[in-house]
Amino acid sequence: MYESVILRTVARVMMPLLLLLAAFMLLRGHNLPGGGFIGGLLASAAIIMQIIAFGPTFARKVIRVGYLNMAAFGVFFGAFWGLPALFFNLPYMDAFWINDPIPGIGKIGTPVLFDVGVFLAVIGVTTRVALLLAEEPELFPMYVQAETEELS
Amino acid sequence: MLLWIVLFALVTSPLGLLGRRTPRPLIGWGLAVLPLSLFVLLALQIPLIASGGRLDEAVPWVPAMGLELRFSLDGLGMLFALIITGIGTLIVGYAGAYMANDAGLGRFLVYMFLFMGAMLGVVLAGNILTMFVFWELTSITSYLLIGYKHDYPDARRGAQQSLLITGIGGLALLLGLLILAAAAQQVGVSVADSYRFDALIAAGEQIRQTALYAPAVALIFLGCFTKSAQFPFHFWLPGAMQAPTPASAFLHSATMVKAGIYLLARLSPALGETLLWNGTLVAVGGFTFVFGSIVAFRQYDIKALLAYTTLSMLGGLVMMIGLGGKYGAEALVTGILAHALYKSSLFMVAGIIDHEAGTRDLNKLGALRRYMPITMVVTAIALLSQMGIPILMGFVSKEWMLKAALESSLPDPWPLVALIAIVIGAVGYIIAAWRLFRNAFLGEPSPTVQTHHLVDPKWSMLLSPAVPSALSLILPLGLLPAVSSLLSPAASAVYGAPFTFELYLYRGVNTALLISLGAIALGVLFATQQQRLAAHKIIASIDGAVVFDKLIEGLLAFATGMTRMIQSGRLRTYLLYIVLVFMLFVGTPFVAYGLDDIRFVLDENLRFYEVVVTALIPIAVIATIAARSRLGAIIALGVAGAMVALIFVLFSAPDLALTQLLIEVLSTVFLLFVFSVLPSRFASLSPAWVRWRDAFIATVFGVMMAMLVLATSSNTDFPSLAPWFLANSLSEGKGTNVVNVILVDFRGFDTLGEIVVLFVAVLGIYGLLRFRRVKPDVRTSGRDAQTIMPGEDPVLAGNGASPSAEHQVSAGVEPQRLRKSITEKDANDV
Repeated sequence: MYESVILRTVARVMMPLLLLLAAFMLLRGHNLPGGGFIGGLLASAAIIMQIIAFGPTFARKVIRVGYLNMAAFGVFFGAFWGLPALFFNLPYMDAFWINDPIPGIGKIGTPVLFDVGVFLAVIGVTTRVALLLAEEPELFPMYVQAETEELS
Repeated sequence: MLLWIVLFALVTSPLGLLGRRTPRPLIGWGLAVLPLSLFVLLALQIPLIASGGRLDEAVPWVPAMGLELRFSLDGLGMLFALIITGIGTLIVGYAGAYMANDAGLGRFLVYMFLFMGAMLGVVLAGNILTMFVFWELTSITSYLLIGYKHDYPDARRGAQQSLLITGIGGLALLLGLLILAAAAQQVGVSVADSYRFDALIAAGEQIRQTALYAPAVALIFLGCFTKSAQFPFHFWLPGAMQAPTPASAFLHSATMVKAGIYLLARLSPALGETLLWNGTLVAVGGFTFVFGSIVAFRQYDIKALLAYTTLSMLGGLVMMIGLGGKYGAEALVTGILAHALYKSSLFMVAGIIDHEAGTRDLNKLGALRRYMPITMVVTAIALLSQMGIPILMGFVSKEWMLKAALESSLPDPWPLVALIAIVIGAVGYIIAAWRLFRNAFLGEPSPTVQTHHLVDPKWSMLLSPAVPSALSLILPLGLLPAVSSLLSPAASAVYGAPFTFELYLYRGVNTALLISLGAIALGVLFATQQQRLAAHKIIASIDGAVVFDKLIEGLLAFATGMTRMIQSGRLRTYLLYIVLVFMLFVGTPFVAYGLDDIRFVLDENLRFYEVVVTALIPIAVIATIAARSRLGAIIALGVAGAMVALIFVLFSAPDLALTQLLIEVLSTVFLLFVFSVLPSRFASLSPAWVRWRDAFIATVFGVMMAMLVLATSSNTDFPSLAPWFLANSLSEGKGTNVVNVILVDFRGFDTLGEIVVLFVAVLGIYGLLRFRRVKPDVRTSGRDAQTIMPGEDPVLAGNGASPSAEHQVSAGVEPQRLRKSITEKDANDV
């Protein structure tokens, strides 16, 4: 947590923009540079910026998500979309596509959904690690102080 | 049909959970219908098998590699499958009555059914790999059964011993079978066929000529001897008597321990007829035979006594395979049937005595004849059969064993060795049987017996031992022709060519009969002296279990030492090991074979800025190493990363560039998180020579990696995949961003693996940061966890023996106590 007005102002404005950019990167990934991995890293960068600017407690409050669960869900979601192929006696993860692209999103198929799983897993993992480090009392005793005060 | 039989046995196993309900005896017999139906189904095939036919069915998986689920039914498989399902029926019914007061009966029955399915899989498999899978499954299920009473340390120990011994044997067996298949491939059997029993047997003649024959046989021996408890791997079998009696009766007399015999018999037409095969089997089997029968009559525990006679009989059967020839095959299959009948009956009787009198100790029993007359009759018949007294099945079996020894075509000492072993074994059996019978049923009632209200058990319990016991008597008296027609195809499968034979009780005086009667006379003579013989000091048993424990202890100590050496807890040491191992196993072959591939061609169109960007990378790396302050190092590292990203941009790989840049940013943030509280300057703790050593290794490794990359990119032996990806990205993957299509579609499975790795990594970090224990003084408290007490469960003790307490993860400790201010040394270890 750095009590810097400039950083905080920028972070406040940038976060929604960065999250939007992340979603944009995820969706356009199949045809242009981007994809779940890049999108996920961007999104977690946006959240980590909140952690640096306002501290982990605030960052947790702004986006109320369990990141470990999110990572687990991402892995599950990714693995899940490989299953439909099995019902058609095809190898696991064979792709299925909807023929017509959906306006604004693009073509949807199981690989895209798998990419969403990657996206969620990357956000969950990266942010969780950042939070773990930021909330490590040996590293940042002041954050823990703030948190315990809040609880009591 | 065979596939369905095996599947049915495995799939219906959860029905065993019905055993949780009462009345348990009724449910036990109700569930016995499952194995009974399989028994009937198999028995319906007898006419087909008796007429020389066989069933064969396969579910192919990867035909080119010979991977398939193949089942076949011939005489040998039929004999075993009938024993498994037949005795299994009785055992399941018996278990319901025997364990009527045990709430765990449901769990027990599930294990039993699973085991039965696995065992059926072993004896019906037509492919050695199929067989191996079920083989291992029997090891695991028997582990569960032996360890059923897991509150008792003895049960845990017995279970673990059997799992380790049969597990080690299983590994050896797998290797042996693979070598065998390789040998078959060498002599021209196609890969697809080389894992099939029938193909292996057909090619047996040529396989025996190859150099691979001896190692294959040695390893297969190891697998079979451990499974069938041959000396010196015998000790797990008495230990396995910790299993509930129904399991002992089923696994350790009639089925599992015979799996090794089965496999040896099955492979003997392919691998037999050599001195290596026959000599080893006669020697090992003969010794186990004698050893088991002598140790048996020293036992006080009825089950232990039975376990040693079982061991002995298994040795006798192995010896029969070793003797070979038609008589050997005949004696083998007759012996298997006779033994399965009387031994399962005896085990169940032992259970009844235990159940009624509360003890199996022969010193504490006596005069049961007054209270349990029917049990006594059942026991007597089974024991007479074991002793090989005329008109019982055991007599026929012994007769054939003697004949196999007398008529053997082996070179000289072996038939004589076998003959002597059989005589000594027969004498030992008589002494053991008499000892059991006298101490349990005759004499004066002991205090234990008097305090219990003893009666014959209900028929729900008594029926099971009574049936095989009665069969031991009825079969030789009236049904020998029928039995012969069942056993002939089995013997043919062991012998390798079809033939028939007739069992008989008496057909004139001959050598075998005279020897047999002589042995009985000798046995009766000794039996009257059994108390004195049992106390004799020279007949001391070698306790293999103690040796085993010592071995395991040594292994654990070794593992602990290795772990301590490798798991130093320092990142730099881990890195060092990883790099060194990599250099050894990748670097050595690369230097030996791969250096020719390297071609370095300088691009003539190299631009000025490309040179600058590239040159900045090594400069940044050197700056990182040379940096005195942490911040400086982070910044220098960032420069290197950014330059790599720039190179990706220059060579038009926007995806990689984006990823690289983001990773660079995030890792800088992470490093800052960690470094923000560390001293701003690096402390220098390692001596100079260590740093020079590390620098040297790092340089060599870096050069090697660079060479590897160069060699890979200039290798032309394999066509590049890139054009294919470019061409098919849109048509197959419906995307124009080839990198992304590879990531999520063509190589999607890899990506899935990577996100799983990411998730595991975050769990690891979570554990490291959240569940840390205060670092104790390693020299004192770390030692406590290391000492393994001999009686302790080695598995638990093994866990305690992890390198040092500082790495132990402890979830339950209060977080506040874990926190301790960071020390200078810690900081440098991070």
